[in-house]
Amino acid sequence: MGIKKPSKNKLVSVSVMGVDRPGIVAGVARVLYENACNIEALSQTVIMGQFAMIVVVAPLKASKTEALEKDLAELAREMRLEIHVRMLDPEGRPGFDPGEAEPFVITVRGQDRPGLVSAITAILAEQGINITRLGAEVVPLGQQLEYIQIYEVDIPRVLDFALIQRALRDKGAEIGVTVDMQHRDIFRTINQI
Amino acid sequence: MLSSEEIIRTIEMLKNENLDVRTVTLGISLRDCVSSSVTELCMRIRTKIKRVAGGMVAVCDRISNKYGIPIVNKRLAVTPIAAVAEALEQEEYCVVARALDEAAQEVGVNFIGGYSALVQKGFTKGDRHLIATLPEVLSSTRHICASINVASTKAGINMDAVLLMGRAIKEISVATAEQDGFGCAKLVVFANMPEDNPFMAGAYLGYGEPEAVINVGVSGPGVVKKELERALQSGKRLTLNDLSEIIKKTSFRVTRVGELIAREVAEQLGVSFGIVDLSLAPTPTVGDSVGEIFQCLGLKSIGVPGSTAALALLNDAVKKGGAFASSSVGGLSGAFIPVSEDLNLSEAIGSGHLSLEKLEAMTAVCSVGLDMIAIPGKVDAETIAAIIADEMAIGVFNHKTTAVRLIPVPGKDVGDKAVFGGLFGEAHIVEVRNIACSSAFTGFGGRIPAPITSIRN
Repeated sequence: MGIKKPSKNKLVSVSVMGVDRPGIVAGVARVLYENACNIEALSQTVIMGQFAMIVVVAPLKASKTEALEKDLAELAREMRLEIHVRMLDPEGRPGFDPGEAEPFVITVRGQDRPGLVSAITAILAEQGINITRLGAEVVPLGQQLEYIQIYEVDIPRVLDFALIQRALRDKGAEIGVTVDMQHRDIFRTINQI
Repeated sequence: MLSSEEIIRTIEMLKNENLDVRTVTLGISLRDCVSSSVTELCMRIRTKIKRVAGGMVAVCDRISNKYGIPIVNKRLAVTPIAAVAEALEQEEYCVVARALDEAAQEVGVNFIGGYSALVQKGFTKGDRHLIATLPEVLSSTRHICASINVASTKAGINMDAVLLMGRAIKEISVATAEQDGFGCAKLVVFANMPEDNPFMAGAYLGYGEPEAVINVGVSGPGVVKKELERALQSGKRLTLNDLSEIIKKTSFRVTRVGELIAREVAEQLGVSFGIVDLSLAPTPTVGDSVGEIFQCLGLKSIGVPGSTAALALLNDAVKKGGAFASSSVGGLSGAFIPVSEDLNLSEAIGSGHLSLEKLEAMTAVCSVGLDMIAIPGKVDAETIAAIIADEMAIGVFNHKTTAVRLIPVPGKDVGDKAVFGGLFGEAHIVEVRNIACSSAFTGFGGRIPAPITSIRN
């Protein structure tokens, strides 16, 4: 993910969760607009009927944080949502910096069972490898349905990717799933012009 | 950003459809190794190969790991030995061959191509020595591949060389009789031989090539077949235009993989990146066959009426997709139909659907020629030479590469099977009709002049 220069203006993060249905984004956007907030970044997803969205907004001069919080709390009550508002620390805004790193994709395939994410992420955390995207779904692969987890990670150049590959593969063998780690460029090369 | 669909589709191509890089071939110039002393020449060759190619296998393995793409073969191609060893005596050529074989073994590649001569217009002393030593070299070394260019659109067909090659093939077959004439699988006779071909047995480093260069051959027909099957199973009504479009897109993906790997290998070895060869090269594995694509295209077997048209469509779509994916396309770049290396083709011979004549017709629209075809051991040298002449004519008069890799199998005949093993596979012996009817023609010798269409300036 590109890291933006920290802006001098204050930023506020608004996170919204609830049962998915039409009108949630419209409701939140209306409150933000009415409170003179500009949407800087937004990500929204739905899994198994559950809606989740995180919005980072820049309040304009006319905006009052207390009023924004009050209006969002009201919206949450009306629409039965959970909404959290948080001021962002300007220092922490650029996010985690992995230094010189290469983007890799880790895929975990096999029978779903408790503990898979924990087993894989323990190895990554121990090596200080940051996950930039993570998803899991059941997909048709070949003739059958298969459970697959996809991790996008940044591997610092100072680490030997082959060693991490081996650690992941060994862990996969131990818990009965197939784990592969491939440089992201191979997926780009095959699929994108 | 990558979509999950893209990631999953890629994993599927890798795991279930044999997507791979078929060969990474490092071309090394041996022009600076030339010496009139055989000892000196061999020492220089070994030193140079070790210096340039020493790290190649490790680099390929690491890159293969990084991207999760198998690199099936690591190979070397060198300057034609007929030129490198020009100053030597005939018996010394075998010493040079042994040095090459040992050098290949030392750096861990499975084949080294370039025991070659270009004689389309005539022979030098070195060319004659090299051809004369083919039986001994191909029966006594493990890693060496040989190729002889006997014809070109500019020069015509050197019929003296064609006859010499007919005889050489017979001798090599006899010298490797206990392996069903396997020595012949390591020799290709060419018209319009490409200087940058990464595929064996025809790889060599041409005179216009750089000091050291990486050329790659991309993955095979398995991926194309799976894409066609998927489209056909979707239930939509498809025309041949649609199928051609699917092949094109698949070829694009496969070629991009080849170029990514080639550039990185070249960079890490500190040598030039040359070309990506778009050829669809099958293996004897089920699901990695050109023949099976014909069945997807609605033909009962490769070899039945419609096969030449289907191959033309396939070959053209592969080129179009590949040419869009890479600006550095070279080598042979087309579909291969090597009989023993493609289980489905071999079976088509066994079932009688595919004949030598139909194979010859199909080579007019694909990249190589009569490739890896086991013929009865009784076929005489002159008949083999005449078959070579026919195939060369197709290449010369159509401005394209054609080649012949025939394997007379000593003591075996139609109904028998030749077994070569590994990537070389096995083959039913194909019937050769009209044996011993062409010797007066081949006996004329001389040259079949270049076609009028070669005068283009």
